[in-house]
Amino acid sequence: MRSKATYKGHGAQRQNIMANRRCKRIFALLSDYLDGTLPARDCRELERHLEGCKPCIVFLESLKTTVEGCRRYGQNEKRNLPPKLPRELRARLLASLRPESIRARGKA
Amino acid sequence: MNKQVEEALVDLKSGKPQEVERALETLQGIVYGFGMKVCGTREDAEDTAQETLIRLARELKEFPNARALAVWLYKVAKTQCLMSRRKSKFAPAQMLTLDALMVKGSGSSALHVKPWEITPEDITLKKELRSKLEDAILALPKHYRLVLLLRDMEQLDTREAAEVMGISEKTTKMRLHRARVFLRNALEGYVQGPRRPKAEHHG
Repeated sequence: MRSKATYKGHGAQRQNIMANRRCKRIFALLSDYLDGTLPARDCRELERHLEGCKPCIVFLESLKTTVEGCRRYGQNEKRNLPPKLPRELRARLLASLRPESIRARGKA
Repeated sequence: MNKQVEEALVDLKSGKPQEVERALETLQGIVYGFGMKVCGTREDAEDTAQETLIRLARELKEFPNARALAVWLYKVAKTQCLMSRRKSKFAPAQMLTLDALMVKGSGSSALHVKPWEITPEDITLKKELRSKLEDAILALPKHYRLVLLLRDMEQLDTREAAEVMGISEKTTKMRLHRARVFLRNALEGYVQGPRRPKAEHHG
C-alpha cells in the first residue's frame, strides 16, 4: 500500500499533466484565435485559460509577432521588381492579352 | 484576396494598350514574388513567372472575376514552383506534429517560454532576423510553406488558399497553424538566445 506522501506527489504530477493537457488544447486553437475565426465557445474557453496561464499568453504574443512579421515581409517583398521579360515573349503575351484575342479564344 | 490582381483585371478589361501592359507587369510581379518565396532562387522564380504568364495568355478565354483569376494564377504558379523544386536542394516532405512543435518551442517545452523582445517590424527591418525568417520558410515542408505564403504573405483567405492547394479548409487551417509555429520556433532561439541581433551597419 502506498503512503499518503506518495499520493500527494502523484497528485501534483497529475495536476501538472492536466495543466499541460489544457495548454495543448489551447495551443492548437491559437491561429484561429489570432485570425478571429475561432467559434465563440472555444474563444471563451481560450480566454478563460489565458487569464491564468502566463506561458500561453507569452506564446500567443510571440506567435502574433511572427504572423505580423510574415505579413510585413510579404508586403515588402512585393516591391522587389522581377527582371524584364524577353522582348519577343513580352510582345507575344501583350498580343494574347488584348480583349479581341481573349474574345476570339472564347469563341473557338 | 490579393488587391493587385483586382487592379490588373481592371486594366485588362479596359483593353487600352498601356493598361494591358501595366496588367502584364503587375501579374508578372505577383507570380515572380510568389516564386521567389516558394523556390528561393531567382532562376526558379523567373521560370515560374514566365511559364505562368504563357499559360495565362494561352488559356484566358474570358474575363473572370478577380477572385477566380487570383486562384487560377496561384494554382498555376504553385504547380510551376513544385516542378522546378524537383531539381532543388530543398525537398523536405515530413509531417509537422503539434507535439513536436510544442517541445521544440523552447528546448524543453513551448509551455515554458520567455517574452520576446522584438516587434514585427524588426523581422523585416533587421537583416539577420529577415534572413532567419527566409531560411525558416525554405526549411518548411513544401505543403506547409505554400499554405503559409498564400495566407500570410499573399493575403488570400482560407477558402481561396484551400482552392489553390486543392485541399479542405480544415486542412488549410491546420497546416497554416503548424507552419506559423514552425517559423515562430525558428525565430525563438534567435530572439532570446545569446546570439542577439547586432546593430545594423549601413553603407
